[in-house]
Amino acid sequence: MINAPSNTGLQQTTSYKVVLPFYIYAAISFLTACILLLLNTRAMHQHYFLPQTLAITHIMALGWGTMIILGASHQLLPAMIDGKLSSNTMAYLSFGFAAVGIPILATGFYLFQTGWLLQAGALLVNAAMVCYLVNVVSSIYETKKTDVHAVFIATAALWLFATTFFGLLLVFNFTRAWLPRNSVDYLSLHAHMGITGWFLLLVLGVASRLIPMFLISKYSSRKRLWWIYALINLGLLVFILLKLFVKPGLVFYVPVLLIGAALAGFADYCRRAYKVRLRKQVDEQLTLSLLSVALLLLPVLCLLVTMAFMSKNQQAHIVVLYGFCIFFGWITAMILGMTFKTLPFIVWNKVYHDRAAKGKTPAPKELFSEKLFRQMKVFYLSGFGLFITGLVFLNDILLISGAAALVLAALSYAGNVARIILHKPVSL
Amino acid sequence: MKVITNDQINCDKALGPLYQVYDPEIGLNVVDLGLIYQIDFLDDENGVEATMTLTTQFCPMGESIRNNVARSLSNTFAGFRITVNLVFNPPWNAARISERGRQFLNR
Repeated sequence: MINAPSNTGLQQTTSYKVVLPFYIYAAISFLTACILLLLNTRAMHQHYFLPQTLAITHIMALGWGTMIILGASHQLLPAMIDGKLSSNTMAYLSFGFAAVGIPILATGFYLFQTGWLLQAGALLVNAAMVCYLVNVVSSIYETKKTDVHAVFIATAALWLFATTFFGLLLVFNFTRAWLPRNSVDYLSLHAHMGITGWFLLLVLGVASRLIPMFLISKYSSRKRLWWIYALINLGLLVFILLKLFVKPGLVFYVPVLLIGAALAGFADYCRRAYKVRLRKQVDEQLTLSLLSVALLLLPVLCLLVTMAFMSKNQQAHIVVLYGFCIFFGWITAMILGMTFKTLPFIVWNKVYHDRAAKGKTPAPKELFSEKLFRQMKVFYLSGFGLFITGLVFLNDILLISGAAALVLAALSYAGNVARIILHKPVSL
Repeated sequence: MKVITNDQINCDKALGPLYQVYDPEIGLNVVDLGLIYQIDFLDDENGVEATMTLTTQFCPMGESIRNNVARSLSNTFAGFRITVNLVFNPPWNAARISERGRQFLNR
């Protein structure tokens, strides 16, 4: 007879039913974006404000990056706030609105139908982000204690909503000019609110907890994390104010330096955690995620080169490279690694929770194919390398072969995700 | 990785099968990992009360690991009332890992 203690002190995990749809949707989006990239490599020769480029960027930012991060954050939030997710219904609503809104928005961009199609997509995406924001804030409000990691997530959710709301304003500004300037002038503001406020803040907040956990490292420094948090938010706020009210000049280096200092602080945080790790052998999944931290250097380098040496005409070309390094480099490398550090556990808990100790069960990492993972990694790294070289030299052969390798990476990824999700219980 | 007990013979009997209960992420068993703090035997109630921890309070497999420990004890001590308490104070630390566990992690 086994007694269940009333309070185990364990975190309450979010149901897999809430989380899995986000992972499935993200895998499909990544594959779609890579196929579109392969079909539109010529667009990379042109200005970034091009229908195909805008469509691919939004599929990568929303369908791939945001959807998987929303899924993972619904799973991880209880652990971050020492409580539970406030509402599963809001999570389902968030998924539903985004799942319908993102393809509508992407189609609107691809066809450059700036009327109802784009507006409907943007409205649905905003509805999804409102649900997410309300869910995150109410989960934090209901809990007893909140730490720095939860503050990262809550602030990131606020920035996400600010980004999509500003995007909505830009979409309506296409058909009726009621903002002081045209929408293209505000693109970098919209993009950096999303890249820095949403992706960077959330990724650093979650990674600062997960990386030491997976390395079995006892390193932790709340003070350092608070500094990183302050530098990122200050950098972004300064950038927004400068962009709105000041003409381009040397002062624009200030936000770059602030955010650069935060990134250096985070890289050092990871280095310290790595140095005192107990687990000497770091698996390939975590290695790929750690590589993504290094890949952050590429967009920073692009940004500095652009600001220092390039005329406005040349900048458009580098902006494509900058965006590619962020979405297909940093964000994708991080997700490709972290998916296989989170999804197998979610599915393992679903399949084996009641079967544990009735017999030996496979380990979570046995739910996916290591061989397929390695194959994906090779395709991804070669595809990314070829494509950025193609972007630098504007070489079609390199662009096409890079995009083709990325399609193969996305297929390998989707295959492995399907393998995990469709896993049937086995006894060893 | 010293396990506190009021009955060393039965504790050793309990620990044997617990070497087969693994932390699925780390791949190391709960005994070598030092997760088991205490195992007491309650004669008057015919019960076994274990106290354990996890490497982190945020472990997504925590409930599963605790259940595995409970089922392992239940198999070893059939008919006994099994209670497994999960505590995070004192927190787990690396010093609790056995020599064999360290060798495993250093591979």
